Amino acid sequence: MHIADILWMAFFLGIAVYLLYRSFWKKKGGCHGCNGNCTKR
Amino acid sequence: MSLEPKRKEEGEIAAKPPLHPVAKRTVTVAVAGNPNAGKSTLINAIAGSRLHVGNWPGVTVEKKEAVFSFEGQTIRLVDLPGTYSLSPYTQEEIIARDYLVRERPDLVINVVDATNLERNLYLTVQILELGLPVVMALNIYDEAQAKGYKIDVAGIERMLGVVVVPTTATKNRGTKELLEATLRTAADPGAHRPQRLNYGSDIEAAIAGLAAGLQEKYPQTAENYPLRWLACKLMENDAEVAREVRIDPAELANEPLAHLRGAHDEDVESLMADTRYGLAAGLTREVLHKPELRKTEMTEKIDRIVLNRFLGIPVFLAAMWLVFKLTFDLSTPFVDWLDALFGGPLKLWTAALLGVLHAPVWTVSLVNDGIVSGVGFVLEFVPVIFAMMFFLTLLEGSGYMARAAFVMDRAMHAIGLHGKSFIPMLLGFGCNVPAIYATRTLETPRDKTLTALLIPLMSCGARLPVYALFVGVFFASHAGTVIWSLYVLGIILAIVMGLIFKKTLFRGETPVFIMELPPYRLPSFKSLCLHTWEKGKHFLVKAGTFILAFSIVMWFLINLPWGVHNQADSYLGKTGRVIAPIVEPLGFGNWQAASSLLSGLMAKEIVVGTMGEIYAPHGNAAHDQAPPPSFGSQLKGIGSSFVGAVRQAVANVTSTFGIASLSLGGMAGSSSLTTAVRHNFTPLAAFAFMVFVLIYPPCIPAALAIAQELGSWKWFGISFFYQIVLAWGMAFIVYQGGRLLGLGG
Repeated sequence: MHIADILWMAFFLGIAVYLLYRSFWKKKGGCHGCNGNCTKR
Repeated sequence: MSLEPKRKEEGEIAAKPPLHPVAKRTVTVAVAGNPNAGKSTLINAIAGSRLHVGNWPGVTVEKKEAVFSFEGQTIRLVDLPGTYSLSPYTQEEIIARDYLVRERPDLVINVVDATNLERNLYLTVQILELGLPVVMALNIYDEAQAKGYKIDVAGIERMLGVVVVPTTATKNRGTKELLEATLRTAADPGAHRPQRLNYGSDIEAAIAGLAAGLQEKYPQTAENYPLRWLACKLMENDAEVAREVRIDPAELANEPLAHLRGAHDEDVESLMADTRYGLAAGLTREVLHKPELRKTEMTEKIDRIVLNRFLGIPVFLAAMWLVFKLTFDLSTPFVDWLDALFGGPLKLWTAALLGVLHAPVWTVSLVNDGIVSGVGFVLEFVPVIFAMMFFLTLLEGSGYMARAAFVMDRAMHAIGLHGKSFIPMLLGFGCNVPAIYATRTLETPRDKTLTALLIPLMSCGARLPVYALFVGVFFASHAGTVIWSLYVLGIILAIVMGLIFKKTLFRGETPVFIMELPPYRLPSFKSLCLHTWEKGKHFLVKAGTFILAFSIVMWFLINLPWGVHNQADSYLGKTGRVIAPIVEPLGFGNWQAASSLLSGLMAKEIVVGTMGEIYAPHGNAAHDQAPPPSFGSQLKGIGSSFVGAVRQAVANVTSTFGIASLSLGGMAGSSSLTTAVRHNFTPLAAFAFMVFVLIYPPCIPAALAIAQELGSWKWFGISFFYQIVLAWGMAFIVYQGGRLLGLGG
């Protein structure tokens, strides 16, 4: 495995982690119950 | 919930010019009305795509809001939840009341169903107590006219002191006049104060006594709240209002109030409610003239059949069957078109793009076998989901769904619930998550908990891609019937589980509830499309975010340890091999099916996405093939095949009632996935697999919704456990039972 492989892998996994983070931990707009107004976060 | 009002700045009203509102200022308009008065349709007709849909703070009740310009004036439209009154009994009523008192909008558009005047005017009477300027939208006016109703519009204006505009939201009639009246009223609210309705000498004397006491002892509070409304609420011993203003109603006891209490047999709250009903009834008698009813109205005629004790449930089942048949007739050609698009040109383009970027060869596999196959297989079935949502919305908008809940009332009583609980369950056909949140409209915690536990058995849209794939491969000539049977199985299992829960966890009497049956009406195409979009768009968002992310993760799990040659030795393969023996007796004991089911716990669409990745032809297929056609000819091919899909869909739908049998044979027919599925499953095992997918926990968000809504991880655990056990048991019965009956293995 070359450095380029590792960089590309980090790129794709970064996208995946970011999308999962947005979907679960940082919901915007579709959050059930707070619509972004929740002060507890 | 706070009722602390927002104080208007002094001189705000006086600063307005008399005939037209100040151009710079935003006019805030609250839209209030009964459920089924056509409020949503009216708002959609006015605001259309400018609507922003969210939630009210702290709750899951939907909030629609739109800011737009009309005749140079900015208007902010806030849709209040549909309510029958402003009493603090349901969350919707509290939200509506809280907003009107706390935010003090510039005016209220009160949407009134002209075909059901008396009931709607009860809310109007309560809104008038708040002293806000009101414009009444006399909606569904065309139906009232068609019924021969003669409504004295000027009479309502005179008696209530509000501007009344007849509207027909479904045909976008009267909306311009409504907005003009809104601006006129907002420009000069002083001249549009509603009439103070007379509640009779006894009540009026008590209100006056209380108001005087408030002004004397609590001048600040009296200034901050609508005084008459506050006096009424304290008279009624409204605990929430008393708590918010920190006033003990007993402190304001006065002689007229004591007389009121002593002279009538009822408590003051009931007396006030009777008075308001009396005013609504009296006003209706004054302004509404109905023709003699010589013939049975259309609604009653239809209800005689659909609500019939014996025909009701068969009609409901037939309606659902028709929904599924039309869904697949309409969507199949588009599924095929998307399959060809994702399987052909898109993979070629991504491979070419990665080549330009000098990306390693394995990234082509990641993008094509992972992302395009994973997300693509989910997106292919989006037409099915949208078609299904469209037809369910049509049934809802026409008024039939309320009848479905009514005919299910008897069955629901058998399991300790009433028909109202069936409404969140029907919502579950779209998506289980909002359906679980919708249980908060139910009156008792018992109803709410039991309904939320049963909702996951309602087959949501996310399960459709799995059914569509397997039905397309094994049961193409009876697709509608097979999928219908799965939905019906879900309902039957909900009833059976309800019975079991009733005997074990939820003992007690079934509460009594009166359900409203709105008249039948044909919803407008625009309204249908808007509601379909609202219901279906989150599947698209999910595909572009969550499922995309999960497809990448799954690709790595299939291809790690790095350089693994046999997928069965990958991390996913090894996990699947551990689980496979558990599902072996169900007919699909291979690691591919087992790991797909495991990934499906995240979201049901991922079952198909994971299968797509596992069974994708590996290697750089795009490079192995003959030279691809030019970009231009590919685009031309996509365009012409789309036109072909539209033609085919129209032909399918028009022949629904006659000639053509449903064919899903072409659905993803050329893909490697369907070939692999055909190779790895028997028809019986495929049906058992679909039964398992129907019953096992729908997704992580639904499980979390149960924990959050019921406020306990205990219910999450119970729900998760019973669904896993039931899914295994039912799939076992289907597969092993089928084998015993000689249906193949």
